[in-house]
Amino acid sequence: MNDIIAPRATGQRSRKDLACTAVASAYQKQFGADLKRRVVDEGEPFAIVQADTPHEIFHVMDIPIITNQWWSAYISAKQLSGHYFDVMARHGYPENSCKYCSLGLACTLANDPKTAPWGGLPKPTVLVARLTCDCIQHVFGQWAQALGSEFFPMEAPAWEHKEAHWFQHSRSAWRRVYEPDRIALMVAEMRDLISLLENRTGRRFDEAKLHHLMERINEQEGYIWEAAQAIGSARPCPVSIAEQMPNTMIPQWHRGSDWAVAHARRFRDEVMERVASGAGAADNERIRLMWIGAGVWHDPGFYQALEERLGAVFVWSMYMPFAGPQYIRELQGQPMDALASRICSMNEVLHLPPWMNGWMTSEAERCGIDACVILLPPDNRLSQSGTKLTALSLEAAGVPVLAIDADMVDAANWNHDAMVAMVADFLAARGLA
Amino acid sequence: MIAYVGPDLPQDVLTATGACSGPVGWNVDRPFPAADRWLESKFPLWTRSILQDWSDGALDGLDAVLFSRGDDAAQRLYYYICELRQRGEIAGPEPMIFDTATIQRASSVAHMGKAIRRLAERLGIDDDALEQGIVATNALRLAAPQVCGDAPLCLLGGTPPPDARIHAMIEAAGWRAAGPTLAQSWQNPSDLRVEEGSGDPCAAIARQLHEAAQGSRAFRDHADALSAQARQVRASAVLLWFAEEDEARIWHLPAQRDALADANIPTLILTRRDWRANDGVAEDITKFLKELKA
Repeated sequence: MNDIIAPRATGQRSRKDLACTAVASAYQKQFGADLKRRVVDEGEPFAIVQADTPHEIFHVMDIPIITNQWWSAYISAKQLSGHYFDVMARHGYPENSCKYCSLGLACTLANDPKTAPWGGLPKPTVLVARLTCDCIQHVFGQWAQALGSEFFPMEAPAWEHKEAHWFQHSRSAWRRVYEPDRIALMVAEMRDLISLLENRTGRRFDEAKLHHLMERINEQEGYIWEAAQAIGSARPCPVSIAEQMPNTMIPQWHRGSDWAVAHARRFRDEVMERVASGAGAADNERIRLMWIGAGVWHDPGFYQALEERLGAVFVWSMYMPFAGPQYIRELQGQPMDALASRICSMNEVLHLPPWMNGWMTSEAERCGIDACVILLPPDNRLSQSGTKLTALSLEAAGVPVLAIDADMVDAANWNHDAMVAMVADFLAARGLA
Repeated sequence: MIAYVGPDLPQDVLTATGACSGPVGWNVDRPFPAADRWLESKFPLWTRSILQDWSDGALDGLDAVLFSRGDDAAQRLYYYICELRQRGEIAGPEPMIFDTATIQRASSVAHMGKAIRRLAERLGIDDDALEQGIVATNALRLAAPQVCGDAPLCLLGGTPPPDARIHAMIEAAGWRAAGPTLAQSWQNPSDLRVEEGSGDPCAAIARQLHEAAQGSRAFRDHADALSAQARQVRASAVLLWFAEEDEARIWHLPAQRDALADANIPTLILTRRDWRANDGVAEDITKFLKELKA
């Protein structure tokens, strides 16, 4: 899944060791301004999409996209999430509704340009979501209605072929791993989406352009994967996840572009330089931690809070190592099919057994993980999904696990000091600190 | 013997097996020590009960259980059970999943047609048997249940409850109750008939199943559907009861509330409720209905 580091809303800022991190943040800030200019000021056709949809289609057609998760993080970073949760309650939605999915809808329902980021979103050409959970079609359907637009849902079909070691084969044997019928369904849906976009925008889809873009994405994600391999084997860990995430995710929003490929290469080079010089995220690394779940966007400083005191370094989150198995694809002369294989299980492999626990247990071993912290959002079945079985797999592999009940965009039940203390106590209780 | 879990399954195929025992049952009024180790907090209690029974061997008499992709909790339970069986934590019947596809698009209908064909082949059902299953299920479709009696009627909407306990609360207040329990909602083959003698029974079932989808992933106007149902059963009141774990139907609460207000139908809205209905819901219902009757 794609997400993005947002600026601090509450909690504490994270420390930055890499020069490229500031470059990525600056690029994203400028991109946000350009996106606003294109979409709001100049009225270009655009789409609102979920993170696990084929962004590549829009990139090929040069149609701007606003990703729901990015927009949620943006709203959260503007410290507006509490206000919009109140808006949802006033409209009659219970307080335990899925918050990660619905902040954008809430912003639209509030209909208050003075408060809304960018003055609120204009009418998009289309809204696109894969039906990975049961709430998303209702949220996007109502959002489309409120915006006077159209919702283009995509199926998230059942997956019967189960390979726990999918990540070892997904690059080349993707048709077997992800099932031919599931890939064919997504290709058919993508062709329908392309027709809709061509009809509505007048812009044309060029499969040769997609082929080129897919090759560039392979190059980009190859750099990220190379850096992820180095981070897993290096002692000490050269880069905390607080910097892994933006340097992976920001280019991934722009995947395949010249900037994204160049930035991934620069990030890889900086990681390698730090590995070569023995530089570590912490001076006294003693405990290597794994983070499972979306980023805590409202408190990025959380991840580095125990580095100095305990030498506890978060060395792993899903975003960076995901680049290899879930993004890189041998095209085999069929870029649409290869793209479908990338998208059609993007969420499933992170939230369902055997794929989730199979991969994460393998990653824990690869990266020499000492302990794991799992985020358990209380009101989101999808985000919770698979975490208990994964925790049991990790514990069976000798990795102690702490589950934290908290939400990635709602800071209401998050206290920086209390959460840091909880992790410290857990590490002490398990004899690691 | 085969049983099933979830909505929008091909009842015609299940009927054709001649060996379908209906929905897997549950008992939500007990502890679930094993299931609680494996399922996260947002899983509804019926999933916990099923997994506990699976773990306890209570479902060992079944050969297979068919799960629906048409419900998020049901489909996730399928993957969890497959994993737990693979790990040797549980045994029990073979889990299978049916790929319900509800999007209003030809590719979804075709995909579901393939899923029906795969299921029929796996269950050893040929086209002749499927045609017989269609005829038998169509006969059930003609016999829609009626709620008889003279007392005023209260329609129960929102999350289908675990059993008839909320219906009983309504009846205890001197009203008749309408609206399906969860198991009844899964069993309902819908009023829409499957085309008989089409030459391609799998495609015919797929078309019907796609058009008549009723689960929480169905694409339809849920507010209009509730209003129409209230009119059809001549409801004098509506109870909208939503369980804490409901993450789909709940999104239509504001529109349903407004639609019922427009229709001048008194409505009691209860959200984030315990599935066991042991959280004061009986008192809320009694107060609401007795005041209305007075």
